[in-house]
Amino acid sequence: MASSAAVLKVDAITIPKKFLALLPGVALLMLVGLGGKVLEQSITRYTKAHHLVVPNIEYVLWAILIGTLISNTVGVANIFKPGVATYEFWLKSGIVLLGARFLLGDVVKLGAVSLTLVVIELGLSIAFMTLLGRVFKLSPKLTGLLAVGSSICGVSAIIAAKGAIDADDEDASFAIAAILALGALALFTFPPIGHWLGMSDHMYGLWAGTGVDNTAEAVAAGAMYSDAAAKIAVLAKTTRNAMIGFVVLGYALYFAAREGRQIAGNKAAFLWQKFPKFVLGFLLISAFASVGVFNKAQIGDLANLSRWAFLLTFAGVGLRINFREMKRQGLRPFLVGALGEVAIAAITLGLVLGASRIVKI
Amino acid sequence: MAAENSRATKRAYKISLDTWAVALGLLLAVLVRFGAVKHIPW
Repeated sequence: MASSAAVLKVDAITIPKKFLALLPGVALLMLVGLGGKVLEQSITRYTKAHHLVVPNIEYVLWAILIGTLISNTVGVANIFKPGVATYEFWLKSGIVLLGARFLLGDVVKLGAVSLTLVVIELGLSIAFMTLLGRVFKLSPKLTGLLAVGSSICGVSAIIAAKGAIDADDEDASFAIAAILALGALALFTFPPIGHWLGMSDHMYGLWAGTGVDNTAEAVAAGAMYSDAAAKIAVLAKTTRNAMIGFVVLGYALYFAAREGRQIAGNKAAFLWQKFPKFVLGFLLISAFASVGVFNKAQIGDLANLSRWAFLLTFAGVGLRINFREMKRQGLRPFLVGALGEVAIAAITLGLVLGASRIVKI
Repeated sequence: MAAENSRATKRAYKISLDTWAVALGLLLAVLVRFGAVKHIPW
């Protein structure tokens, strides 16, 4: 469970003690990400020069594949682990910077569509996961963690819910492993299904953002389709992430009532504590872009900085995939997660296709 | 008591990952806006 342990530990960084320890891992992320980018460019150049027609494989997939190859062969040495775990930081920084590419009006319009879909998706997926957990006789808390993880935002939601419902470390590890494994699967299934259905960038981005669990994988699944799809996937996923406090609070109240406890403290403070603050950064940059603080070239620069941050994220996603760890977690939580994921992917696909008939997506 | 105070101070100086991400994003936005960082390639 080394990779999950690393994720659990990285919720706060203190400077300057840990700063130096991060450098080797960040360098590895950069190396893997650049490797993916160079590979994509070299293949494109080669196929163009030789007049070959082959499907273009985006740098996203190459970076993930190189990372997965390293993680499952030589492994990630301890010296790199703290830096590799910063991929989540790069993801959030990238999302904040991506705000420059959205006008606030678009955020409100697309956010409203996303929010409607997310609320329906949350209700349906939590109900479905709870039912599956009962059928497969998983503990109520593990079922709750899997439901929170698959319906909102993967690992961060599981970590937030773990503390709130007082779940075991083992249950949290199971749920995290299942969600990560299934997120990796989504990377390889969502883009071909989107192409097969002939989905537009907007529709596909909305589907990836509402259907894929973990934020990093949702952004990667979007980027593997197109740049525009990644942009929409980020917005939809960010809307979903913003709901984390409400769902975790709901679960905390439910388990407290079951165990005859009371939730200490103010509920509004609880919601604020669980609210993903990077969403505010994203909105702030988007507001600046909307009132003309940046010119066209500056928006381009910010968008490119966001792409570099995502490049490190995608490398981290690959370096975190560990098949041995997945095998060790056992089949049942994985099976419940997998069945739930297929159902959630189908539900969100239906919602997006349905919504595209009602509103212009 | 002193140890407790020290622990509380230490906790107060811990900044969440989200806050760091927002800080970096805003810093880069300011640097780009005022021309300290430009022509970022991709």
